[in-house]
Amino acid sequence: MNREVAWRVFASEYNDSSHEIKNDAEKTPSYVITPLGAKINRLFIVGVLTDVERVSETGDMVRAHVSDPTGVFTLYSGQFQKDVTDSLLAIDVPAFVAVTGKSRTYKPEDSEDIFVSIRPEKVVEVTALHRNQWILETCQRTKERIDAIVEAKKMTQPNPMDLRKLGYNRNLAEGVVAALESYNSIDVSKYLSLIQESIQFILPSSEKLPDLQTNIEMEEEKPQIKSEEVVIANKIKNESEIKVDESEKKAFEEIENTVLKLIKDIEGEDGAPWDSIIEKCEKTGLDKDLVEEALTSLMDKGLIYEPILGTIKIT
Amino acid sequence: MAVNEIKPHVEDILDILGDESKVSSKEIEQELKKFLEYGVPIEQAKQTLIKKYGGSVPFTASSSERTLISDLQPNTQSVNLIAQVITLNPKEISVKGETRQIYYGIIGDESGTIPFTAWKELDVKKGDVVEISNAYTREWQGTVQLNFGDRTATKKTDEGKLPKNAFEPREHKINDLKSGLGVVEVTAKIIELDKKDTEIDGVKKKIFSGIIGDETGKAQFTSWHDFKLKKGDVVNISGGYVKTWKGIPQLTFDEKAKVKKLDSKTLDVEKIQTQFMPIDTLLEKRGALDIETEGTVVDIRPNSGLVLRCPECDRVIQNNECKTHGTVEGKPDLRMKLVVDDGNGSVQVNVGKEITEKLLGKTLSEWQKIVESSGDESPIVNEMNNVLFARRVKLKGNALGDSFGTTVIAQDVSIIEVDMENETEAFNQKMGEEQ
Repeated sequence: MNREVAWRVFASEYNDSSHEIKNDAEKTPSYVITPLGAKINRLFIVGVLTDVERVSETGDMVRAHVSDPTGVFTLYSGQFQKDVTDSLLAIDVPAFVAVTGKSRTYKPEDSEDIFVSIRPEKVVEVTALHRNQWILETCQRTKERIDAIVEAKKMTQPNPMDLRKLGYNRNLAEGVVAALESYNSIDVSKYLSLIQESIQFILPSSEKLPDLQTNIEMEEEKPQIKSEEVVIANKIKNESEIKVDESEKKAFEEIENTVLKLIKDIEGEDGAPWDSIIEKCEKTGLDKDLVEEALTSLMDKGLIYEPILGTIKIT
Repeated sequence: MAVNEIKPHVEDILDILGDESKVSSKEIEQELKKFLEYGVPIEQAKQTLIKKYGGSVPFTASSSERTLISDLQPNTQSVNLIAQVITLNPKEISVKGETRQIYYGIIGDESGTIPFTAWKELDVKKGDVVEISNAYTREWQGTVQLNFGDRTATKKTDEGKLPKNAFEPREHKINDLKSGLGVVEVTAKIIELDKKDTEIDGVKKKIFSGIIGDETGKAQFTSWHDFKLKKGDVVNISGGYVKTWKGIPQLTFDEKAKVKKLDSKTLDVEKIQTQFMPIDTLLEKRGALDIETEGTVVDIRPNSGLVLRCPECDRVIQNNECKTHGTVEGKPDLRMKLVVDDGNGSVQVNVGKEITEKLLGKTLSEWQKIVESSGDESPIVNEMNNVLFARRVKLKGNALGDSFGTTVIAQDVSIIEVDMENETEAFNQKMGEEQ
């Protein structure tokens, strides 16, 4: 499994997304599919941080907005990533920031639309130079996606294999095919003019770039906001990302193998009870936390699943 | 597939369905064509149609036609091959607590070579030409894998069953070497050379290994025979096969190979240098030796900056506690783990002390003093963020692929001062021309 790529997309393309690939039972990551075929689990943006606001009653959750030449990204950061939340709160707005983050979606119950946001993993204050580099890079990547969409539309049966033969990498080839399947019509010209407008910002001959995009549409200020927070907070809770030191990965893999073997031994027809796994593992000298970490990781990899709460089976 | 090539397959299907079937050969032909247009392998398409019209798929494939290795498609139920065994290695695996012997290796015919795995006892030797029936294929990491299962029959046959050119080496550039290639011919320069003594089955042997390169890239090599190689030689090696380790190709050859020393002018040695490889290409290859790549720093992993290492095993430790060696006095070090990403792919980059000192502008001991007087790590963390985060960097080093992705072990990292004016103009012009 390669690390999820950090896509470069403008706010306008990201916010236009109305389709996603949902993870089924924690086995695979979720992706937002943009109209140009970016298949986003992670993204990297640089823009102007315009506001940071505490939104939950306890103040654990903050919402922030980052503006680029085409629109505004919405960020939500909660108590499970206190470092990031703190660094957001510490920045005096407006300021240039670079953000690496995970894509998030919210779908109101009685609606077909999805709302996309970002859960930041890292936020650092940067300079106009970083921002200009990002605009250029994002123009280039967006153009590549447009080219890939145009090529795919020419095919009678668009498929990743043929796109890869044209030189597009696996991520993009899969994303483009998913976009063509998800969106009825893709207005490529809209994004071409988006690139052209954005590039004007950084062309040496052009007028100086206005520092801030002020027309933030506060469309998120809807009554659903409460439930949205709950949904996002729950999702964050579910996410038990294991941060293992690289040098410890090997050792951790061994632990996973031990745990897997043990489950195999005791699962029988009905599966292995969680408690007996822990107990047996503790006997072999494994620490309970480690075993639970290994179980979560094995589940993420799809090697085991939980048919009934508290019972583990091998897939 | 042309019409006259489809016909025999249509007849195959009609034969199996028998006289009672009411379907016409025209219908079968049309449906079969449709499957083929969608890229369904012929055998699978035939089996699907046989099932659809009520026939039972014979235990052995309906066709005993031989497939060429270069025509193998992933996920095919039954294929028949005639090929030479190029390498063959036993391997013990444990299945449900029982030890089982499996074999893996490479076979080749006149069209190419392919790695295989045999899940059963094999009664053939390296060098044999064998007839293989009822093997099956799977896809793994985008490549076709050939498997011999319980239903697969292998039997030794005449060398004459393969055309002569099946045994002739095929020329490759270093950049094209990938796992499973056999009978390879390369022309390359010996860049590094090591001699090692080893013992195999009680017999002492010298092995010669190192790095070879041409104008397309570099690879590792291992020779099981003393060809009197010297560092700097330009040689033509004919008859080797390729394995990979963490994505890095390794050319292996023995006394059966031919090694010719060439005039050093045969290769443009000036061009044997570090090759640039974009991140997505690197990820597809999984790893590579001595390459350059570039991207933006999108993350600086925890445990970057000042760390303590176990004096015994050099691993990074927490609270002076080594997982293997217990309580130890940690040895201070400076290192970084960066994530570098160009929007098309993402690699981790391990940066050692010297390069970290260069990038952050202070030595290990200077940082130790700074962190000691400030009482926490924030000065160095802030400096890493300021200097590196969201900056474009150029990397040089070896890239190693494993199940967690690809890691570049950096031999150099430098920050790229992007020429915004020129790059923006160039992009804008390209956009204009296309309109």
